[in-house]
Amino acid sequence: MRRLLAVLAAGAFLVAASACGSSDGGGASDKNASSGGITTVKVGIIPIVDVAPLYLGQEKGFYSKRGLKLSMTTAQGGAAIVPGVVSGQFQFGFSNMTSLMIAQSNSVPVKAIANGVASTGVSGKDFGAITVKKGSSIKSAKDLEGKKVAVNTLKNINETAVRESVRKAGGDASKVKFVELAFDQMPAALDSGQIDAAMVVEPALATVKSQGGTEIASSLVDVAKDLTVAMYFTSTQYAQKNPDLVKKFQEATADSLAYADAHPDEVRQVVTTYTKIPTAVLAKVTLPKWPAEPNRASIEALEKLGEQDGLFKSTPDLDKLLP
Amino acid sequence: MRGANAALGAAGLAAFLALGEAVPRLGLIKEDYFPPTSRIAKALGTELADHAFWTALGDTLTGWALGLAIAVSAGILVGVVISVVPHLREATASTIEFLRPIPSVALIPLAVLLYGTELRSVLLLVVYASFWQVLIQVMYGVQDVDPVADETARSYGLGTWARVRHVLWPTALPYVMTGVRLAAAVALILTITAELVIGAPGLGARIALAETSQAVPEMYALIVVTGLLGLLINVGARTVERRALAWHQSVRGEVTV
Repeated sequence: MRRLLAVLAAGAFLVAASACGSSDGGGASDKNASSGGITTVKVGIIPIVDVAPLYLGQEKGFYSKRGLKLSMTTAQGGAAIVPGVVSGQFQFGFSNMTSLMIAQSNSVPVKAIANGVASTGVSGKDFGAITVKKGSSIKSAKDLEGKKVAVNTLKNINETAVRESVRKAGGDASKVKFVELAFDQMPAALDSGQIDAAMVVEPALATVKSQGGTEIASSLVDVAKDLTVAMYFTSTQYAQKNPDLVKKFQEATADSLAYADAHPDEVRQVVTTYTKIPTAVLAKVTLPKWPAEPNRASIEALEKLGEQDGLFKSTPDLDKLLP
Repeated sequence: MRGANAALGAAGLAAFLALGEAVPRLGLIKEDYFPPTSRIAKALGTELADHAFWTALGDTLTGWALGLAIAVSAGILVGVVISVVPHLREATASTIEFLRPIPSVALIPLAVLLYGTELRSVLLLVVYASFWQVLIQVMYGVQDVDPVADETARSYGLGTWARVRHVLWPTALPYVMTGVRLAAAVALILTITAELVIGAPGLGARIALAETSQAVPEMYALIVVTGLLGLLINVGARTVERRALAWHQSVRGEVTV
């Protein structure tokens, strides 16, 4: 959930991380416990619906077939993932695109290698949305001017998305007051009126809806059609030193994503093995899309918006970042 | 008297639990975010039946016990050495005063960079926080040594080790025990914090998982477990303290002549 915090970490530990990365990067490949042709790699993830394909792929043998065994490390604060990958604690990690681009523009050595999760691209039927309380006077994103809107991390992908929704609705995005709040706390804050609107993702979105809250915009859809929201990444050192392993991970992940996309029931089933989402909520959760390939055009759109809002120190080099 | 106290205590707890049941049911606060006691109890029951819960509890206790053991041994050792070796105390005082106030949670980024989400990250935070509790108490305890007793021991020709054993240690022990008790509580707090924030396996990570999963009753059930754990640890530490200091007047009471 707090995956976007990763960006804070990326910024804060820029110096430490790159220092550590260069000295520690060599050790990372040695750490892989390799036995009987099976290499165990640690993947830093957040225990949310988005990463279900990895669990499913592991179950279906897409990874073992290629001699890979994933050791899922659920870093609760996404803050642990970027520094964890860069310092070689994890071989792979999961992070949203804006965080990865911020890291890249800060010269944190990250390399996106496999697609993670994408928006459904269908307005009103996405896994993330701007929501308001039941009976709220706010009817569209334009009404958010001067209102308090909660996002899970300031200056990150969801703030970009909300701003874009406001602009698309003909409002002035600079007049929106953003507050930072964890996704899981948003339904309660919305309900008690501490905030006027919340940019939530599943399963908090299902919770808000179950309380009668309504969606006013599908912000991830507003950013770009079929937006690539998050990707799996590794450190540039690791990618250089272990091109074969990375390639196997890419292939197995592509298989897993395709499988997950085609088998939503199995996705809902596997989610219960690593989260505690109540079955009643899970049944109502809108699943994201898992295309096997990232959508470069959508990432460029996200980059442009981020740049417009001053999120990056320098323009992220997508050629270097993307696979 | 004891019986009456226990009865009052039980009544207080019962009233609290009843309040926890009634307030959400009456709609004074939202049931969704603060489920009534019975629902939390039910979630607790489900947790207790789950194998993963016991693994998490084991992880938390391992982090706590290992961290505490390291912190206590290191705290006692360093404390005694600093106090016994001439001038070492003056030489280290400023460094200790500089390092001690650094909140252990501020080291989370460092722990993540060094050890990821492993047990070692938890230990780093736990040991750092608990170590000072013990060290400072040891140093206070050593300061409390009766100079006459120390001089007497010296004039009887006791060596450094014998003086530590027979004069310094008995004087310092009540302080050390206070330090250990404080450290035990701090170690639990830091273990849970590390699991909650970093995601190292344990009860803290499970609480965070329940929170992100919108499983509210489960989250409260796990919080109750950590509370009970804290209670048990405190009771345990007090028992150890009483046993170890059975001879001391603070526990034994004044001898009536």
